Amino acid sequence: MQSLNQHRPMHLQQEKKEVLAEVCSVQIGETYFGVPITHILEIVGGAQPKPVPLAPTFVGGLVHYRGDVLTTVAMRRVLQMSEQQAAQDILVLEGEHGCYGLLVDSVGEVLTVSSKDYEANPSILDARRREFFAGAYKLDGKLLVMLNPEHLDPMRLDAE
Amino acid sequence: MDDLTREFLIESQEGLDRMERCLTDLEERPDDKELLSDIFRSVHTIKGTTGFLGFHRLEKLAHTGENLLGLLRDGKLLAAPPIITGLLELLDGLRGILKTVEETGSEGEAEDAALIEQLKLLQALPAELPVSATAKDAEARAASPELHAASTETTTQKKTLPTPPPPAEPPSEDRVPVKPVTAAVAATDSTLRVDVALLNQMMNLVGELVLTRNQILQATAQQANFTLLARRLDMVTADLRESVMKARMQPVSNVFSKFPRMIRDLSQMLHRKVRLVLEGQETELDKTLLEAIKDPLTHAVRNSMDHGIEPPEVRMATGKDAEGTLRLRAYQESGHVMIEVSDDGAGIHVEKVRSKAIERGLITAERAAQLSERELLQLIFLPGFSTAEAVTNVSGRGVGMDVVRTNVEKIGGKVELESRPGLGTTLRLRIPLTLAIIPALIVKSVGQSFALPQGVLSELVHIPAERYGREIEWMEGAPLYRLRGNLLPLVFLEGILKPGGGEKPGEGRENFIAVLEVDERRYGLVVDGLADPEEIVVKPLSTVLKSIGIYTGATVLGSGDLALILDPGSIAVRAGVLMNMQQERGEAAQQQAEGDPHDAEFLVVETSGRRCAVALQDVLRIERIPITRIEYVGLRPVLNFEGQLLPVEDAGNILGQRDRMIAQDEQITVVVCRDGNRHVGLAVHAVLDVAAGSQLREAGTGRPAEGVTLLKNHVTGVVSLTGVEALHEEFSSGDQMMVGTNVP
Repeated sequence: MQSLNQHRPMHLQQEKKEVLAEVCSVQIGETYFGVPITHILEIVGGAQPKPVPLAPTFVGGLVHYRGDVLTTVAMRRVLQMSEQQAAQDILVLEGEHGCYGLLVDSVGEVLTVSSKDYEANPSILDARRREFFAGAYKLDGKLLVMLNPEHLDPMRLDAE
Repeated sequence: MDDLTREFLIESQEGLDRMERCLTDLEERPDDKELLSDIFRSVHTIKGTTGFLGFHRLEKLAHTGENLLGLLRDGKLLAAPPIITGLLELLDGLRGILKTVEETGSEGEAEDAALIEQLKLLQALPAELPVSATAKDAEARAASPELHAASTETTTQKKTLPTPPPPAEPPSEDRVPVKPVTAAVAATDSTLRVDVALLNQMMNLVGELVLTRNQILQATAQQANFTLLARRLDMVTADLRESVMKARMQPVSNVFSKFPRMIRDLSQMLHRKVRLVLEGQETELDKTLLEAIKDPLTHAVRNSMDHGIEPPEVRMATGKDAEGTLRLRAYQESGHVMIEVSDDGAGIHVEKVRSKAIERGLITAERAAQLSERELLQLIFLPGFSTAEAVTNVSGRGVGMDVVRTNVEKIGGKVELESRPGLGTTLRLRIPLTLAIIPALIVKSVGQSFALPQGVLSELVHIPAERYGREIEWMEGAPLYRLRGNLLPLVFLEGILKPGGGEKPGEGRENFIAVLEVDERRYGLVVDGLADPEEIVVKPLSTVLKSIGIYTGATVLGSGDLALILDPGSIAVRAGVLMNMQQERGEAAQQQAEGDPHDAEFLVVETSGRRCAVALQDVLRIERIPITRIEYVGLRPVLNFEGQLLPVEDAGNILGQRDRMIAQDEQITVVVCRDGNRHVGLAVHAVLDVAAGSQLREAGTGRPAEGVTLLKNHVTGVVSLTGVEALHEEFSSGDQMMVGTNVP
């Protein structure tokens, strides 16, 4: 959560120095999300996760990843969006309890964002979403909503 | 020769081998303390054990040697060449006696006086190495913990020496250093002795693998005969895997060997008389697993000694032999290694367990009242449970059984406990043969593949869609199947995986029942489809998925697909299948006993349009293999099966002419049977059924007819397996005799 911790104080002392951060942009539904690249181990494209019957709903299934079996978190289900049939991309993240995959519609490019454009979560966001989001960057014509990988760890989601 | 002596011989041989190596090194580095301590340990161990086994000649010799080595180790003597010569002579002397022991079982009568005298003379050589007393002591102690365990022995021995008094700190038992001991254990744990022949074989196979890989790489470019290469790669990989597994296997005696000494010490400490019986020491187990069961076994043995076997007076009073028996037994059972620790002690009093569990707050009184005896016994495995009246040094801290179960379950094993008050207790550890790779049946349900460990699978039943209504019976919503007359509870995998589905899952389509036996539960798991059995590599699941409870892991199938590995035990629990197998088994056994002994069961096969029967008890398995796997020795068809040559009897001429053009993918069925100790294969067109046959009698004489049986009112010929010609005869008589007679 390095970049996040960097952003928060920035937000409080806004007029200070400009800090740049690298963020991987992903698309889920209509929205652009960002994940700090420091958390990403690898991006796996076109994966078809194997469903796990009886698993908690947020589990998107299993994928074979470097000799291991990786549990994925289906972002569409976490965000309560409708399911999508097409192949999806996976961000492999390293969490406190081991690696896990984040299932997104597609992975875009890596963007360099500036702390100048950062805003914290708006107050009208529902409580559940506020957990998963860590503010947003105002880009040209669109918002890049930052995801909070710590809160998307399967262990954490399961506890909720 | 008893096991103890044999073990002692092996152990001493190892010790002496090590001593020899060390002695030669010592010549180059005469002041190396570690080498000296190592040699000292070898001799000391021999001395200790010989005393115990009553080999006095050995003991005397080893004792003299030990005195000399003690001086060397303490730096009072320098390991000069004459001393090393003397020590090597000692080594030969010890080896000589051990050899006599091995051959005759006793030490023999020869005198070692000359050698002993020589060793004593060597002790008088002047000291040349000044070393500070504390350093010496510390080093000596770090290096040889055994010395201190036998501290009294050392001190008396030192008194007899004409040399200056021992260093400042006398060795004391309570100061036995812990760290060096564990370090030493770790060192032996991480090394493995491997047969050189096996290593060579592995190296060859790795070479083969590399070659095949190279060829595959080239072939991909040229698109040559891929199937052939793939088959070779498959074979090499299988062989290599087997070799590596073999290299990891170790006899359980490696662990068992620690117990005689432990029992001896414990029986002195606890004032018990105990006889230790070790059985099945040659049973092999993966090295990692062996290490993992060491602690649980130690706990179990301690528990048996402390809580199980009663003091001699008590035993006498109850009419038992004053000497208790503790039995450690290892054997293989359906893909598992079983290790039993049983004693003929007091047993576990279920009522005591109940009240103790309530007292300790592990269970409520109401709940305890509902539990069966069997379930009550399981309470012993709860953390913090102990029935010992007093906490002793040996056990009774309430960690033992909990630790036993946790450790065994960690490696995928199971712990079973059986106890009869007054008669004894048996603790059974069920350990998988190996950790990483297990054979599994791939089953299909809800449109996905799942792996079912084959260890629990006893048979498969196919229910075609049109027979669903007739063969699957419902008792108030509970599905049942009549398996040879007995009702088998069914669990629909679909119903488990997708709760809240239809009333009758699987209706209107083909179903397969996998009859499973797990934890004393027997049930049929109904799946939509079967795929080939595969050897799967178990990959762990994330905690989130493991906590679902019905999956033990996941695996990657040959097709590249991922499959979840089902846990048959948890599925049974989830579906509410009760533990009643014992009872059923008992009934089945009774039925069998009552039935006519001639009414054996037969496998009905078809070859060239004829029906034949094979006694079911002789059938090991049925293989469906590509016809190309059949090879020929002379004209005899054989099957290279897992490295073993299986003669194939081809009565129906299914394999056809040797040079007939055969399609690459043609499959044949081979029934693998047992004939005495050998295995033979029968090539058949189809396997039809399993049926009970009844004895036919010859008209007139009334004698039982041989070679035929009555199956479903048809007289059917029984295949005589003894008629299948042995392979080795053919080899010995050369290749001239090429045509085997076609029996049945």
